[in-house]
Amino acid sequence: MATQLPPGIQLEKVDDRIMTLNVGPQHPGSGHMRLIIKVDGDYIVSCDPDPGYVHRGEEKMAEYRNYIQNIPHLERPVIHDSCNILYPYCLAVEELLGIEVPERAKYIRVIASELNRCIYTLYWLAIYGIFLGHSTMFMWPAGDRELFIDLLEAMSGARVTHAYLVPGGVRNDLPANFEERCLRQVDYLEKRLKEYQSIFYKNPILISRTEGTGILSRTDAIRLGTTGSVLRASGVDYDIRKKEPYDVYENLDFETVVRKEGDSYARSYIPYLEMFESCRIIRDAIRKMPKSGSVRTKLKPNPKGGNDEVYKRVESGRGSLGYYIVSNNRPEPYRVKISVGSFRNLICMPYLLKGELLGNMPSVYWGLNYWPVEADR
Amino acid sequence: MSTAGGIIRALNSGIKHLAIRRFTLRYPEQKLKFVGDGFQFNPETGVGIAGLRGRHILYHEHCTGCQLCSVACEGIAEAIGMVKIDETWKQNKKAIMPQIDYGKCVFCGLCVDACPFYALYMTNDYELSSFTKSALIYTPAQLAVKPKISQDVEIKIDDRGATHG
Repeated sequence: MATQLPPGIQLEKVDDRIMTLNVGPQHPGSGHMRLIIKVDGDYIVSCDPDPGYVHRGEEKMAEYRNYIQNIPHLERPVIHDSCNILYPYCLAVEELLGIEVPERAKYIRVIASELNRCIYTLYWLAIYGIFLGHSTMFMWPAGDRELFIDLLEAMSGARVTHAYLVPGGVRNDLPANFEERCLRQVDYLEKRLKEYQSIFYKNPILISRTEGTGILSRTDAIRLGTTGSVLRASGVDYDIRKKEPYDVYENLDFETVVRKEGDSYARSYIPYLEMFESCRIIRDAIRKMPKSGSVRTKLKPNPKGGNDEVYKRVESGRGSLGYYIVSNNRPEPYRVKISVGSFRNLICMPYLLKGELLGNMPSVYWGLNYWPVEADR
Repeated sequence: MSTAGGIIRALNSGIKHLAIRRFTLRYPEQKLKFVGDGFQFNPETGVGIAGLRGRHILYHEHCTGCQLCSVACEGIAEAIGMVKIDETWKQNKKAIMPQIDYGKCVFCGLCVDACPFYALYMTNDYELSSFTKSALIYTPAQLAVKPKISQDVEIKIDDRGATHG
């Protein structure tokens, strides 16, 4: 993982030359977390991530609320990806309570979660751009994101925290003429995404800063337990939508994006390419969706789960996102454990940053697709 | 050479945007149009009707004071409290109706899902800011007022880009 160092630079044993830097928790480049970085000149000797500044006790809070009341607070860890973070919860609760989901609701859920994945990725791309000093890449995705936010607002009634998915389906049916409007805006976004190529991804300045930095080999990616775009950037073809299809993903036409380089450039390129796949999924889902029918199974008030435990996971914008729910014949879950992709990807950061230039820290850090609030839960 | 070419191509694609129409909603002058009259819920089918989840509207002639909205809000935001009202309605023996604190409300709309009497819906009104915290607490009388809506701008997409207008 260590890159070729100029002569005279040693990574170990030069104690008196090493300086400790605290990046964060208030530094805008770190998000809500602290990175304790030891530097020798411009080179990073060691990095010790210190997360936990935005821990909210979501898992404990979930034990005091019933299965419906849990919805609004469980989407708070990633408000930009709120459909995807609720998705495994709904799947798990449906299995616990034995609820059948109508066919149309399954397609609507897929559309909502793919729209939300695009919203998340565009937001992430905006931050990635501004931390590499590319302010145009901050403006463009932040503006284009509005199109999909408006679509989800029309669907769910809220701009960011949708609370749209519920155990048993979705809260409400699609509004009139939604399909037509959705297809128009998806087409437009695809056109816009192609313009990002020349200004950002094919930009020699970005390539020089990201290509070859923070290389994570295929074996290391598997050994460290990374998920999502980080895993796929290292050449592992693993997408939960393909490998363990949930709802209607097995009927839909899309491909997993894999790159072999394992460097920061590949990690930043994969979410971008996946947005095209998301657009494809949305188009396919709109075509295959039943045109009418129920969208929500009626639940009993205060439904009780049996003596059971369920683990369900989905592919979120940041990798595998799973819920492990234990119930004991009460309206509230006994235990809710949220397993998030962000936290799992954080573990490879000390390995990636060792031997890198300090200036490359933001590109490696944000390339991990890490969301501090989700990791702390 | 390829580096210079790449930079020129990047600059060029930025310059092209000078000719593209601006995609900015000029908010106080323009207001985005929403679908429908706000989020509503049909207790018979158990399915909601799509719409913006803004400020609530309370139909006094339907509200029975059953407190289900308040119970639904208990674990979420605790924004809804039941208060005594002066009016007399024959379906509302206890003469209590919900009062909503918008300083706490998260606009999840689960209170609307909980109401079985077609009494509590949400509207397209989202401009709720005030100078004092106490002004954010809406009494049943304030909640009964229909909001004045003047939202008319839609997103238009053509060859020259997307605009609001």
